[in-house]
Amino acid sequence: MLRLFTDTDTDITPAVAAEYGYRLISMPYSVDAKTVYPYVDFDEFESKKFYDMLRSGVLPTTSAISKDRYIEYFEPEFAAGNDILYVHFSRAMTITFNAMDQAVAELKSKYPGRKFYEIDTKGITTISYTIVREVGDLLKAGKSLEEVLKWAETEVDKFAMYFFADDLKFFRRSGRVSGLAATMGTLIGIRPIIYMSQEGKMVSCGKEKGRLKAMEHLVQQVADLGDDFKSHRFVIGHTDAFELAQEVGKMIRERFGDDFPIEYVVANPTAGSHAGPNGVGVCFHAKHR
Amino acid sequence: MDRIDANLYLNLVRGGAAALAAHRQTVNDLNVFPIPDGDTGDNMYMTIQAGCSAAGNTLSEAAKSVSTGMLMGARGNSGVILSRIFAGLAKGLADVPEADVDAFSRAMLAGVEESYHAVAEPVEGTILTVFREGAQAAAGSKDLGEYFDLLISAMDLSLEHTPEQLDVLKKAGVVDSGGAGLLYIAEGMRDALHGKSPVVAGDDGFNGAGDAAQNSATNTMAGHHQPSAEMLNAFTEDSVLEFGYCTEFLLRLQRAKVDLETFDETVISDWLSQNGDSLVFFRDGSIIKVHVHTRTPGEILNHCQQYGEFLTIKVENMTLQHHENHMDERFKKGRKAYGVVTVASGAGLAGTFRELGADEVIEGGQTMNPPVQRFIEAFDAVNAETVFVLPNNANILLTARQAAEIYDKADIRVIPCKTLGEGYYALANLDTEAGDASAIETALTEAAGEVTTGLVSRAIRDSGTVHEGEYVGISGKDILASDETPEKALLALSEALEAGSSDVILVFAGADARDPDALQAALESKYPRAEVILQAGGQPVYEYILVLF
Repeated sequence: MLRLFTDTDTDITPAVAAEYGYRLISMPYSVDAKTVYPYVDFDEFESKKFYDMLRSGVLPTTSAISKDRYIEYFEPEFAAGNDILYVHFSRAMTITFNAMDQAVAELKSKYPGRKFYEIDTKGITTISYTIVREVGDLLKAGKSLEEVLKWAETEVDKFAMYFFADDLKFFRRSGRVSGLAATMGTLIGIRPIIYMSQEGKMVSCGKEKGRLKAMEHLVQQVADLGDDFKSHRFVIGHTDAFELAQEVGKMIRERFGDDFPIEYVVANPTAGSHAGPNGVGVCFHAKHR
Repeated sequence: MDRIDANLYLNLVRGGAAALAAHRQTVNDLNVFPIPDGDTGDNMYMTIQAGCSAAGNTLSEAAKSVSTGMLMGARGNSGVILSRIFAGLAKGLADVPEADVDAFSRAMLAGVEESYHAVAEPVEGTILTVFREGAQAAAGSKDLGEYFDLLISAMDLSLEHTPEQLDVLKKAGVVDSGGAGLLYIAEGMRDALHGKSPVVAGDDGFNGAGDAAQNSATNTMAGHHQPSAEMLNAFTEDSVLEFGYCTEFLLRLQRAKVDLETFDETVISDWLSQNGDSLVFFRDGSIIKVHVHTRTPGEILNHCQQYGEFLTIKVENMTLQHHENHMDERFKKGRKAYGVVTVASGAGLAGTFRELGADEVIEGGQTMNPPVQRFIEAFDAVNAETVFVLPNNANILLTARQAAEIYDKADIRVIPCKTLGEGYYALANLDTEAGDASAIETALTEAAGEVTTGLVSRAIRDSGTVHEGEYVGISGKDILASDETPEKALLALSEALEAGSSDVILVFAGADARDPDALQAALESKYPRAEVILQAGGQPVYEYILVLF
């Protein structure tokens, strides 16, 4: 039997995970050396409270989970004779997967018959959320594992995510965005537009003056790159900026009509630690990223 | 080598101490900013050395003994944190007869936790980060050899990234000194693990752990920190106390003064945090350990003495400890390619420019034009191949150009921005990867030209239709508005400058601005399409600076 795994960096909540039968691997963040495991240490993500804490000046850190922790997640499945498919956030953004590889190698030698499959969503938060759900939908619809893996080979690169952040200090501190000008700090009124590259990294691709221009930029990306996006999930993610996200949604509606659903998702705290509050991003099916 | 027993643990600590001893000057030399504090290399070395005379029959006894020695001997911020790392290790190794790699790894992670508790507000990009990232990366290793290899490579990488996390390091062109010291200790521990004898010291007179212990004692007795005559001259009859005193002490709580069973030490720590900076505070039984920066050490000591008596006291004038250094090539980042010098007055504005990436903000502006000499000093301080200068005022532009002509140690490019708004927007658009110095200069100049700046100030005499005491709205040399309150004048000025066609309306509120919140609301309702941002600039002379882009 195939058991599904994903992680909390994909914005998937336990309720959504349960719909598809995903088990959730909790990716931690730390505040004042206190490590918090989402959905292990709390049942519901209080996003307003979390992002208000960031607004007040707290800068959380995130950390990789250990090999042992991966083994705790995976071993029971292998021991029970199950195989695993793990649909995870981007390998290129973290060293945590080194620990996972070690854990898997160890388990495979212990359980030689068992198989471990993975789909790298090459993203985090909204883009991963979308792909995790699309994968879940395909399996639910009766597609075989082979078909889903084949699908992922080409389709993962066709989910694009473009977003802007309000304050670059979070990104600058984490050092996880390339292409940001060397000295860009807190740019009052100027918002860099960042996208998730085909390599699974955050890359800056320009900047806009004012919030409106930044929102228009996101909409224009949908116009330029969008491909059959109405028959896929269209997700607007935000870091506790629901009103702003809804404004983007309204602009999307005005431009592309209302014959498709738009879903709003708040970014998980671990990813939000790197992005900071007041950011908005769109995720859609595209010709390429 | 798959297990650590008492003997090996002590050897690891001694190996770490010996490696640090050999490199302590290198670590000292990294300790240049933000404010001079005790020399990190010396402080860390003395701290770990205090743990080297430890003993113990079992691993937990040995670890406890090392920890106690270091807690008592800890000096300076980095030393205190180092001692807490080993205190965490001791906690993690309590009841562990012999540590395999997993047990040792867990103890190291306990050290991480303990170290973060050592400071009131943990700062990333310091020894804390270097140790945390190292210990986290090494967790899950298959044996101790692999553990130390992973630990050291991750610490090395983490150390390299510290300047990206802390601007003060970036500006000084160094990595975090405490992190560097800890890396040497880890390297020494690895050598000890493999049975290698301690590194032979360089020319600082230390020869391995054994001798080091003796030398340390001698040094301490002789007063290693006794400043030289040259150092004493750093603080003259006319010097201003800029940095205050680094004050450290161990206080033994006294039964005659407090109820030891119920005493809550936060009474002391709360008071200290209100009366000093950079507080490191902890209690170990009846001993309180304090490190604090203060301008009035006497008051600190008097206050604390009401709770107990001092075991040790160290007070040092931090200005004396600031001295020129030569650095290990390994850490020397050299001259930066590009730097920025700008001019602003008002704490808010200066802070804004620094956050945008200005290396030096010269205090100055409309009524206070800085001299050429001040620019020269700023160019020296920046230490870059090319320095872009944003004078932000027409009356300062020439001074900046004059300074640029005189200065021959770097390529100085003065961007002709004549207002704070132009300087702000130019700097916000600085991209040091956009091409060579000329290309960047052109881009900055163009950016400065894309901004409209308006100023609101109080008229100090009658002029034309404007009366003394009224508030005028100015752009360039034109008076475009005047009204009885600065807010009304700004709204009128914004109309005259067609703010509605801008994407961003940025307003810096001056030190005397009266009602910025109402102003923001008024601007937002007047210009719904634009993003209105109000910042506390704190500048004198101008009630408001209006920047449109």
